[in-house]
Amino acid sequence: MPTPPRSAAEDAVLVERLSADETGEAMRRLYRLFGGELYGFALNALGDRGSAEEIVQEVFLRAWRHAGSYDPGRATVRTWLYQITRHAIIDARRRAAVRPGLPHHDPAEEAEGASLEQAMLGWQVAAALERLTPEHRQMIRMAQFRGLTMREIAEHTGLPLGTVKSRTWYALRSLRLVLEEMGVVPS
Amino acid sequence: MTCARFREELGGHVLGALEPSECDAVAAHLARCPECAAEHERLAGLLPLLARADGLEIPTAPVAVEERLLDRVASEHRGRRTRTSRRWAAASRGRGRALAAAALAGAALGAGVTAFALGGDERPTPGSDYSLVLSGAGGASARAEFAPGREGTEVHLWVKGLPPDGDAVYEVRCERAGWSASAGTFRADARGRAYVVLTTAARLGEYERIRVVRRSDPRDADVLTGEV
Repeated sequence: MPTPPRSAAEDAVLVERLSADETGEAMRRLYRLFGGELYGFALNALGDRGSAEEIVQEVFLRAWRHAGSYDPGRATVRTWLYQITRHAIIDARRRAAVRPGLPHHDPAEEAEGASLEQAMLGWQVAAALERLTPEHRQMIRMAQFRGLTMREIAEHTGLPLGTVKSRTWYALRSLRLVLEEMGVVPS
Repeated sequence: MTCARFREELGGHVLGALEPSECDAVAAHLARCPECAAEHERLAGLLPLLARADGLEIPTAPVAVEERLLDRVASEHRGRRTRTSRRWAAASRGRGRALAAAALAGAALGAGVTAFALGGDERPTPGSDYSLVLSGAGGASARAEFAPGREGTEVHLWVKGLPPDGDAVYEVRCERAGWSASAGTFRADARGRAYVVLTTAARLGEYERIRVVRRSDPRDADVLTGEV
């Protein structure tokens, strides 16, 4: 099911509510919106479920404690959370370097930072794909990730070739719009 | 072929999924149509981004982390209130205890209401799976109905007889031994009644009792409880 459309401004309001909200609802909503992709990002970077869970918990606590310093004019909430996660992953890797039992990674931190930036981008694109309709997502997945031609997709899905072509075009246009809305690509 | 028809070929062209003859026709059109060429360029910019997402599936956010996180936030809020309370007590020294206590109540609370209170409306819930009666001290009672959903369980809760404290925030928890999942929070109206619809990530069969607690109570005592 595609994630319902949500604006960056709504996310910013959620962050604004965080520190005063004693009910925990703003935090719960923020976690349910972004927890999955940040967990995927951390899990992919650290390779360990327990460490990834710790990181995600730490990220949202940091966001809660520093919600007042969030500036919607500088970054979307998603980008801000990803940056916090990136820092938390780098910290965790540094700790892992001196703590046995956790996966050890390349200590070349500049390269490490750049590779995390690329990974962050990948997870944000994956999140954008989740916001497309299943039909649009299917077209992109089949053509881009499975390497099928338009004709092969038409045969596979039973859809007319013209429908497959137009659906693929609309899918890419939708993806572009979602990525613009997320601040991943310039509008 | 018109521009409109060529536009529909652009997706397949960008993704390298057209047949060679179709591909040549699109390339020839792009060479003489700046509008279509601009559209093609916008879409082609997605390719390196898509390559980064290959094989990535967004996992479900771990429920256990959500629960730990909300517990931490609640406990840090309690800590903040205690510190605020001490500051207020110091500031109000000499000005009378009653005045300080009244100011504190106003300062400590004011959080947003997370569920809606409709008074005593007790309409049955369409699609609910089973119901439960909860009882508590001081004549408080509640009826809960549960409806399974894709993301967990929807809980409809009708409460009455809560103390008339409009600022009290109550939390509904689905629990079994050693495990707890929050369904969310609510406030009651001036008569101590509430009707709320909450969602918990816990699924039917994963919990054995429902507890309603007052969020600010450090003892975490039951306000209402019922066994499933």
